[in-house]
Amino acid sequence: MRNGYITRIRPDMLFGKIKETFEKNRKHFQSDGRLKSLYPLFEAFETFFFTPENVTKEGPHIRDGIDLKRFMSFVIIALLPSFLFGIYNAGYQSNFISGLPVNFPAAFSKGLIIVMPIVFVSYSVGFFWEILFASIRKHKISEGFLVTGILFPMTLPPTIPLWQVALGISFGVVIGKEVFGGTGRNILNPALTGRAFLFFAYPAKMSGDAVWTVIEKVKDRSVDIVSGATPLAVSALAGINENIEILLEHKGYGLLRLFTGTYPGCIGETSAMLCIAGALFLIFTGIASYRIIIGGILGVLSTGFLLNMFAGDASAAWLSLNPFYHLVMGGFAFGISFMATDPVSAPGMEKVKWIYGFAIGMLTVLIRVFNPAYSEGVMMAILFMNLFSPLLDYIEIKLRLKKRIPNV
Amino acid sequence: MILLKIKKGFDIKIEGSPLPDLLELDKPHFVASLPERIPFIKPKLAVEKGEKVKIGSTLFIDKRNPGIKFLSPGCGQIEKIGFGARRAIKEIVIRLDNTEEYVEFDVAKFSGDRDFNRDDVVKSMMEGGIWPFIRELPFRDIAAPGYMPYALIASLDNKEPFLPDPRVYLKGETGLFKKGMSILKKLAKNVYVHSSKDFINTNVEGIPITHKFSGDYPADDPGVLMHYIKNNPSENRTWYISGQDVINLGSFFSTGRYPVARTVVLAGILAAKRGHFKTRIGVPIKHIIGGRIKDGKKARIISGGIFSGYATSEESCIGFYETSLTLLPEGGESEAFGFLRAGFDRPSYSKTFLSCFNRRPLAADCSLHGDERACVNCGSCAKVCPVDILPQFAFKSIAAADVEEALSHGILDCVECGLCSYVCTSKIDLCDFIKNAKRVYYKDKA
Repeated sequence: MRNGYITRIRPDMLFGKIKETFEKNRKHFQSDGRLKSLYPLFEAFETFFFTPENVTKEGPHIRDGIDLKRFMSFVIIALLPSFLFGIYNAGYQSNFISGLPVNFPAAFSKGLIIVMPIVFVSYSVGFFWEILFASIRKHKISEGFLVTGILFPMTLPPTIPLWQVALGISFGVVIGKEVFGGTGRNILNPALTGRAFLFFAYPAKMSGDAVWTVIEKVKDRSVDIVSGATPLAVSALAGINENIEILLEHKGYGLLRLFTGTYPGCIGETSAMLCIAGALFLIFTGIASYRIIIGGILGVLSTGFLLNMFAGDASAAWLSLNPFYHLVMGGFAFGISFMATDPVSAPGMEKVKWIYGFAIGMLTVLIRVFNPAYSEGVMMAILFMNLFSPLLDYIEIKLRLKKRIPNV
Repeated sequence: MILLKIKKGFDIKIEGSPLPDLLELDKPHFVASLPERIPFIKPKLAVEKGEKVKIGSTLFIDKRNPGIKFLSPGCGQIEKIGFGARRAIKEIVIRLDNTEEYVEFDVAKFSGDRDFNRDDVVKSMMEGGIWPFIRELPFRDIAAPGYMPYALIASLDNKEPFLPDPRVYLKGETGLFKKGMSILKKLAKNVYVHSSKDFINTNVEGIPITHKFSGDYPADDPGVLMHYIKNNPSENRTWYISGQDVINLGSFFSTGRYPVARTVVLAGILAAKRGHFKTRIGVPIKHIIGGRIKDGKKARIISGGIFSGYATSEESCIGFYETSLTLLPEGGESEAFGFLRAGFDRPSYSKTFLSCFNRRPLAADCSLHGDERACVNCGSCAKVCPVDILPQFAFKSIAAADVEEALSHGILDCVECGLCSYVCTSKIDLCDFIKNAKRVYYKDKA
């Protein structure tokens, strides 16, 4: 600075240094090195920084620029707005209920304190399993986990104990994915599998009746528990003849607030608005199927309107709920944008994607309306339809191949 | 004329396309025949090292059908017979004399307006070494002479980067093309000429085009045409011939001499002078490239189109069917944080690069741009497949050795365009799976 120079680290110098480090340590991970069993870990880190140097052998001599790393990174980019908002919202809700300042810096930093440990545990425990399986199988570490590792914490309430996070991600990665052979071969969405495990194993924490806001004990202030209830929990309490919309309005959960997402709920799911933004990004880049998303929305709306028709004076309050509330309450927007569109567990055929999405929307509403025990339906709806996607694919493929002029 | 709209495929815009001018090259010092580059044949040598040959002397025959002969594209002395692994004949090199002596074939009965029958045509073509120009779908082997196919397709286009432009090689040769067509009419129930709309608009005189299409690579492939127009399974065994070879056919039946002319394209971003070169069959690659290669990066020399061709070396020669040389950078440089690059100039079928807003042709190299992973069912391959195969499902049935299932997916309709491999997010060589399965099935059947 004194001589008028500004000392900067040029990016290529920095990358050169990183590259050198990799080259220096490569020998330890190769076939005769001490750490050869951890080669997948080395490889994963190296290819994170630098694209691999391999070239085509025969066949098409040029290849598309996209690879799975980019494909999965784009899902993470799409998740970022929801994720950042989730951090803010977790902190905001916590500070609000604890009577602490709710300005943005205070709320966001509180959110970081709440959310980052959960994300950290999810990634580190999940990566442990990934590395273990990849090392034993001598596979490369697949990028699918990058998405699972962040999707999973976003579906959890901020109050989740960290040991449950570890347990859930372990179940999701090992049973949901690795026992089938890893990313690409799983039949269920691993993040949702983990969440479903926690839901059935520890219903007290997960069923949504509990308060999902981290409450700090503040002296001289009695905490109003009900004000921490999620909209779905509020709705579930509605009795016959009560109007859920009015009940929600009474708690301050207007349609607009439900849409923007400043209400208690799972970390990433509350803002339907940001889920739509992420979904649009994924649709535009061709990573998520618009058929599934639109199908899902249509499923929710048509089922909702159909149920409205059956609603009478003495019927349950859920029946007469405006279907648009289903879209913005709870995890539907998040699930249909980021979970249902996971290409591995969704059907691969284009037409049945409509059915798949529609059924998810329909089941979500049916579970919410008719299942008194648990008012959130999207998780079960997606997992249920995951099971059906091979069948849906099978049907469409058979119908399509029937039209082909045989060539044998 | 039938109009076809071919919706699938991919218009890949790659920098380095050849100029439409035609340059005549001098006579090379030697030419070669490359039996190993002719699929399926079992070559049996008919010459020895040191022997004198004329243009049109038999070099080798196909043991599977001894009537199918491969003739010498040059007049001179056999300089070298190269063998590869397991004594497969790699190349037969002929050092050329100063003279051009031809073996004369009797084609008098095909001249003028005289009528002739199919058997005579087949016999003359096999004798004259031009039968192998005609190939048979679905396996793309040399056509079986005894079979009467429903259709024979002459394709007149160059959708694959980078093949010779028909407008260039047809210039001044339309008479021979028409002569060739009149001969082909005897060989099949229907003879089609198939070309794209853009090509027709420029109006090459007197070419009787029967099918014109709009669409992207590989819409010009005869297999794609058949996929759109076939009505029953008997049409699967369609024959096809390339536009240049129709001209050669016409030339053979007009002169009675084995045709050796070839228009070869030199293209690719590493080619310093890109264009069409009029030369001959079996010309040494060095003779075409000459000094027309840019220094610096290591070039991959691709013979026969970026998607369907093979990598070769400067020491080799142009094969029997190939009409193109493309010089691409070998690539393989690693990039920092490649998965987050904006990529305004990175060619991609996906919309995950800013290049989807870039209409200009882009530079491409032979990098894989990633590493192989398990299929995540993204479905890009099925979106580009021009013959509506579902590669993401078909390749799994192939990997599971379920031949019946794979066949029901229509893998025999595959035109081997390589687009599925190109677009694959997981870098799986899907086209290779299908090509190999077809080959294994064909060999089992035979």
